[in-house]
Amino acid sequence: MSQREIAISKSSVPRKAIIALAAIFAFGLFVVGFDQGHLFAPVFGEKAFDQMYIHELTHDLRHAAGFPCH
Amino acid sequence: MRSSLFIALVLLSGAVAGTVHGLVNLVLVEPYLDSAIGIENQQLFDSGKEKDTPEFWANYYSYRAWQKGGEILAGAILGTAIGSLFGIVFGLSKNVLPGSSFVKKALILALIMWATLYVIPFAKYPANPPTVGEPETIILRQTLYLAFIAISGLGALGFYQVYKRINKKALAFAGYAGLMITAFIAMPPNPDPITLSADLLNGFRMVSMVGVSSFWVAVALILGVLWHKIDSDKVTREKYQ
Repeated sequence: MSQREIAISKSSVPRKAIIALAAIFAFGLFVVGFDQGHLFAPVFGEKAFDQMYIHELTHDLRHAAGFPCH
Repeated sequence: MRSSLFIALVLLSGAVAGTVHGLVNLVLVEPYLDSAIGIENQQLFDSGKEKDTPEFWANYYSYRAWQKGGEILAGAILGTAIGSLFGIVFGLSKNVLPGSSFVKKALILALIMWATLYVIPFAKYPANPPTVGEPETIILRQTLYLAFIAISGLGALGFYQVYKRINKKALAFAGYAGLMITAFIAMPPNPDPITLSADLLNGFRMVSMVGVSSFWVAVALILGVLWHKIDSDKVTREKYQ
């Protein structure tokens, strides 16, 4: 005797959640994959582009995940 | 499902899977990164920009320990970010994805996103270790890489919409393949020369791919299991013999 179970979801994804997650996606991707000092520049000015603190902190994962670096 | 619960599930699965990615990298990728940075150090000594002193090495090991710790943090951040995209797409597509359970559906979606957002872009712009990449070309390389990922991801989405209208899978797939072949030929290659040995380069690229793949497997399993466990989505289960 075989038994099958089918899961049917009736509700859709909340729009607020999509907007919040899309913002997190864009911000996180920029932090790890593309920041060259931009995020700290409003506080530290040009020095942030020389130090590239976040770039250096995420350096190894940036290379390992395939993002361009240096 | 409530917004807060949905967001919590997605963020948790992304952060944990990203941490897994970081840990896998620490074990598999770091030896290659250390070798490549060792070449950079030798170039600094040869050019006279740095001196091979105990002080240099003390600073170097301290700095590298900080960067290796940062790899776990960066893994969690990137995992949360990519996991957010995965969660959005999963939430919107779970009813049309093939598979008899949420775990299987999540694994199938992860396979599609891994292929379109990582493997295909990797074929055009593969990962490179330190020593490859000129600072002057970073903006160009970032733009090219992001553009190729966007073309691949949006192209897949667009041709899926085409498939839904014409109901011809092979034609939609051929359209996507044609788009990516065109992009592959039309877009310029990475402009920077590669001076590393083939062994180091290929070994790095292989373990890099293993690391990223571990993220996609982990995020699908975690989100699929959590979704199944909580399942407060007012699921209707129909049982029949």
